[in-house]
Amino acid sequence: MGNFLLLLQNENMKIYRRIRTWVMLGLIVAIPALFAVLVKVSVTDDPGAWDMFSNITIIYMLVSVFASVIFADIVASEFGWGTIKLLLIRPWKRSKILLSKLLAGILFSLISTILFLAVDFILSFALFHGRSVNEYPADYTAFSYAMEQMLYQYVDLLVICVIAFMLSTLFRSSGISIGLSIFILFARNIFQALLNPELYPWAKYVLFTNMDLSQYMMGGGQAGMTMGFSITMLAVYVLVFLAISWVVFMKRDVAA
Amino acid sequence: MTSQEPVVRMINVTKKIGSKTLIDKLNLEIPPGRVFGFLGPNGAGKTTTIRMMVGLMSISEGDIYIGQSSVKTDFEGAMRQIGAIVENPEMYKFLTGYQNLLHYARMTPGITRARIDEAVARVGLTNRIHEKVKTYSLGMRQRLGVAQAILHRPKLLVLDEPTNGLDPQGIRELRDYLQELAHQEGTTVFVSSHLLSEMELMCDTVAVIKQGRLVDVKDLRGSAEAGRRETAFEVDKPLEAAALAGSGTIDGSKLIVAVDREETADLNARLAAGGIRVYSITVLTRSLEDQFFEMTGRGGGQIG
Ligand SMILES: Nc1ncnc2c1ncn2[C@@H]1O[C@H](COP(=O)(O)OP(=O)(O)O)[C@@H](O)[C@H]1O
Ligand SMILES: [Mg+2]
Repeated sequence: MGNFLLLLQNENMKIYRRIRTWVMLGLIVAIPALFAVLVKVSVTDDPGAWDMFSNITIIYMLVSVFASVIFADIVASEFGWGTIKLLLIRPWKRSKILLSKLLAGILFSLISTILFLAVDFILSFALFHGRSVNEYPADYTAFSYAMEQMLYQYVDLLVICVIAFMLSTLFRSSGISIGLSIFILFARNIFQALLNPELYPWAKYVLFTNMDLSQYMMGGGQAGMTMGFSITMLAVYVLVFLAISWVVFMKRDVAA
Repeated sequence: MTSQEPVVRMINVTKKIGSKTLIDKLNLEIPPGRVFGFLGPNGAGKTTTIRMMVGLMSISEGDIYIGQSSVKTDFEGAMRQIGAIVENPEMYKFLTGYQNLLHYARMTPGITRARIDEAVARVGLTNRIHEKVKTYSLGMRQRLGVAQAILHRPKLLVLDEPTNGLDPQGIRELRDYLQELAHQEGTTVFVSSHLLSEMELMCDTVAVIKQGRLVDVKDLRGSAEAGRRETAFEVDKPLEAAALAGSGTIDGSKLIVAVDREETADLNARLAAGGIRVYSITVLTRSLEDQFFEMTGRGGGQIG
């Protein structure tokens, strides 16, 4: 039997040997840095480090965009390049090849998230020494609050990335899958705002309503929704998206 | 020769897409150690058949065995024995040639770095292998394609229209290489083309496909049939010559018979001994080319 880790190594090679990837990682460092420097030179009173940390965290959106691009591209690009043919005629089941791609994507999302966090921390604590004014809910410290928020943002990123991954296998075109993923990434806030579970009882089963787990940090959710309910909903959606990806990828005739 | 078990067995292979039957009950056995051609006009179903062989397309009915492994039920076992290029050899352009080979080497157990270097040398890419593929010419990509296909020393090498885009020099090299691979290393080579002239140069046997159906399988070497050509003997007494030859047709002062080289010399000697004057001997090039056109219909054999 072949060694699955070697498949993962291949997928990583195809991600990190592209200049695009390094541009993304560079921007994940450069844009928060630019933002922090701008704040530093434009305010007279330094904000507190933790306050600044949470301000910079808004830029985490950038990581979501980049990770979505990687996921949306990882299957479709092989079809676009025509390399899918040489990839699939190896002694490996298609299911395992797809798994290696999913894992490589997750690895990228982790690396870019950790990089972002490190940059966020360093900038906040190196440049800003003022008094923190942010207040946190009971039971939270600034640190635990920030970390829990990051965790929920990462969950949110992963859900979007799984959608991007599914679109990538469905459409086999990087352009379409990247475009659609980014559209969903930006449009889902609109859906979330429109579909208020207090007004429409069915809205609590909509994916977008459940994606922001930080809504429970301040206490109960809307319309009786709970953290457990949202996690279950997210798990169900993610499993369905992955199942669709696998079934389509395994059954599809490759005529690229 | 160890065994004459066929390397590939296609049994009633059928491919349907929607209501269209692209391949219709194809039965074909490919014996080991040969360059086996798969000839047919564009759209005949060569690529479709090859895609089914390598698992890129599902097989609607029937099955394909590579050695003992069914492509349907033991895909991994079947693929371990195959190296292939399906249509153009598309590679990762942002990687070097070497990184591309490393990528495929990792996917089959037991390929050492030394083996990669050997394959690279084999296709003559040693000098450029550490450059990015985007700087390669089509011919170089073709070579890299062959290198990835032979990395794991497959029992069966499948090449779909490998001469597309190659210059005559490249075609000759490929031909010599495939012959060597088959006759010295015992690899079975299955190669498709829509050009008969290439098949005649490259292959030992050729299967002809037309509109998804197998039309004929022809031996191009070794058998008596293969070497025979229609040959015209211009003589003074055609009737007597025909009687002496025991076969053939008469066209004016010419006797036309199907003979190979040796038979030509023998017949010439017999005619001379029988007191018939032979003025000229001409090989008529009505050969496979015409037969191919007869089988597949005109217009299919050439492009442009
Ligand atoms: N995915 C597909 N769906 C429907 N028809 C197809 C598909 N792929 C190929 N065909 C048709 O099948 C026939 C055989 O095509 P192909 O195997 O590519 O021929 P060849 O390689 O011999 O030129 C052609 O008529 C082509 O139009
Ligand atoms: Mg073809």
